[in-house]
Amino acid sequence: MVVKVRNLVKRYKELIALDHFNMEVEEGEILGLLGPNGCGKTTAINCILSLLSFDKGEVEVFGRKMTPDAYDIKQKIGLVPQEVSVFENLTVRENVDYFCGLYVDDKHLRRRYVDEAIEFVGLKDYVKFYPKKLSGGLKRRLNIACGIAHKPKLIFLDEPTVAVDAQSRNFILNGIKELNKEGSTIIYTTHYLEEAEMLCKRIVIMDNGKDLVSGSKEELKAMITTSEKVVVSFTSISDEELSEMKGLPHVIDIERDGEEYIIKFESGINNLTKLLEFIKEKELIYTKLHSQLPTLNDVFLELTGKELRD
Amino acid sequence: MTVYRYFIKIALRNKWTIIAYTIIFFILSIINSSNSTQGEASFIETKLDIGIVDNSNSQLSNGLKEYLEDKNNIVEVGPGEEAIREQIFLEIADAIIVIPEDFEERVINKEKALEVYRDDRRAESIQIQNQINKFLLFANATYEVGKFDLEGMKAALDEKIHVQLIKEGHKGTGEGIGEWFRYYFNFTGYVIMAIYIAVLGLVMADFTDPNIKNRRMISSKRFLDFNREIYLGQLSVASVITLIFILGCVLIKGKYIGVINFHIYVINTLALSFAILCLTYLINNVTRSKFVINGISTVLSLGTSFISGVMVPQELLGDRVLTIAKFFPTYYFVRINDMGPISLLDVRFEILMQILFGIAFLLMGLYFSKTTQRA
Ligand SMILES: Nc1ncnc2c1ncn2[C@@H]1O[C@H](COP(=O)(O)OP(=O)(O)O)[C@@H](O)[C@H]1O
Ligand SMILES: [Mg+2]
Repeated sequence: MVVKVRNLVKRYKELIALDHFNMEVEEGEILGLLGPNGCGKTTAINCILSLLSFDKGEVEVFGRKMTPDAYDIKQKIGLVPQEVSVFENLTVRENVDYFCGLYVDDKHLRRRYVDEAIEFVGLKDYVKFYPKKLSGGLKRRLNIACGIAHKPKLIFLDEPTVAVDAQSRNFILNGIKELNKEGSTIIYTTHYLEEAEMLCKRIVIMDNGKDLVSGSKEELKAMITTSEKVVVSFTSISDEELSEMKGLPHVIDIERDGEEYIIKFESGINNLTKLLEFIKEKELIYTKLHSQLPTLNDVFLELTGKELRD
Repeated sequence: MTVYRYFIKIALRNKWTIIAYTIIFFILSIINSSNSTQGEASFIETKLDIGIVDNSNSQLSNGLKEYLEDKNNIVEVGPGEEAIREQIFLEIADAIIVIPEDFEERVINKEKALEVYRDDRRAESIQIQNQINKFLLFANATYEVGKFDLEGMKAALDEKIHVQLIKEGHKGTGEGIGEWFRYYFNFTGYVIMAIYIAVLGLVMADFTDPNIKNRRMISSKRFLDFNREIYLGQLSVASVITLIFILGCVLIKGKYIGVINFHIYVINTLALSFAILCLTYLINNVTRSKFVINGISTVLSLGTSFISGVMVPQELLGDRVLTIAKFFPTYYFVRINDMGPISLLDVRFEILMQILFGIAFLLMGLYFSKTTQRA
């Protein structure tokens, strides 16, 4: 286990930002910490890294208790903070060199690391630029380069794609996969479902300072009762027909979203076939029909009763 | 030494602040040196009651008496240190001068030539020191092959007449030179304060930015190592700035530094530099807003310099203003420059005060750094 967090409690005056938060990260994985804004993701990271003191709980990193002066552990950690954290008065290259220099003393080795990091984030043509001359996406890439240049084994990325154009976003996500392939363990916080779904091997879903569930996407989806959703647009349907449809086997609920009806099934065989038979029998006319597997949003919705959307 | 290197680098990115102040400063001091003969010291002088105890009774001591008589009222006083202090306390005299037996020798050897007891309650009494300094400066300058040129000195000391003070034919009177150094260093105090606070403050604001600080705190860089490099950086930048102004003085008036006690100006400047460096440390622990730092740099340096007598001589400032000024190191710095320093011993109190201010600033800074860290 690379990171082990047990019963972490962090209070900001009256506000409980972390409420017995738990998390475990295995070596070599990409762990997604998924939750809405303000749920405590950044606070959790800062507590793990000893940037913040906490009221209760235990944090172990690389098998040892994490403390502010655990310099040998820190040597192996990289953080890409949520805010772009660079010197406005230093160029791209100087910034990467400075932050890398906090870990690596050897000049030659550092030069190589800095070159590689700049290449990695695709800022080679911008080495002499000052941060204020960079677009939002490029600034974020610089922020990443500053956090990973020293080749850490464990990398924390705190919402690195917020407010980033689509192109930079894909670039960043692919880069993270690559870092992982090269052997780094990654902790990735986000409030974007799709990112967590696409990137992470395991996900911890978090809300109000608590870890709700954790597991692979499949495991998480298997945990909830909804196993399938069918979205249909009927040209017309009566209330009786609708309530009759609700009585079909395995149907949990039907929601209306404008023209569309979302029919939720719990797991069962031939759910869709049964529905189609019912539609034929009632001679209902529909313009659109498709089946959906549950998303992480459904998981979140069922766990918290609210949506997790941008 | 990455941190140190980048500290210097960022300081150099603020070089325009340094350059702007420096250029203005040197332009002003060069202008000042070309017309400093009509220094206001002559019109603000008031007649003081002074007593002279002459144990030398030499040509030179008589010359000095004559010279002082011209500008002051001579009163009868008795000898003996205790008696002298009492006479000053009783306001019989504003100042009493004791001329030792070996007065002439001491002047020739540029040693401390005489003892001056002043009434500290009267700020004007400082001018007696200036008059004596000027006299001694001239005496020394005219001494040649075992003789003082008293006639030549008399002419030179007459403010209306310009004389050849130094053989090279540089024009200027003793008044001018003394005044020039006084102004130069007083303004150096002001400029050093403005630049230190602005430049070191702006660089530190970058390093203490919470986001950037967090990155350092999670790194494997030891806190002590980091601080050591930062302080070394501050010290280097501060030293270079102070050095610019000391060297600038040597460049402009280098040939006079043998005549006046240049080392005292230098020590005085270093003492003030130390105090201001500590003040900068305090400020950096209180605020990291660049806007506020720029404001403090301007207001504090101008304000304290003004009330301490950099722009207007201390003698012209009201008592209340001077009382406030005593709470800033600049006041003691200016006092030394105004005395036209004779010996280190005479200025030890003022030097000590500046260092004590430095230590006080340091302790306050330490206190604030602890309280902000805890938040
Ligand atoms: N320094 C702070 N002081 C007080 N409250 C804070 C502070 N930092 C964060 N919070 C609060 O703690 C909660 C968790 O914040 P954060 O960890 O930043 O959430 P996330 O990163 O998931 O968006 C939020 O309600 C936030 O307002
Ligand atoms: Mg956050």
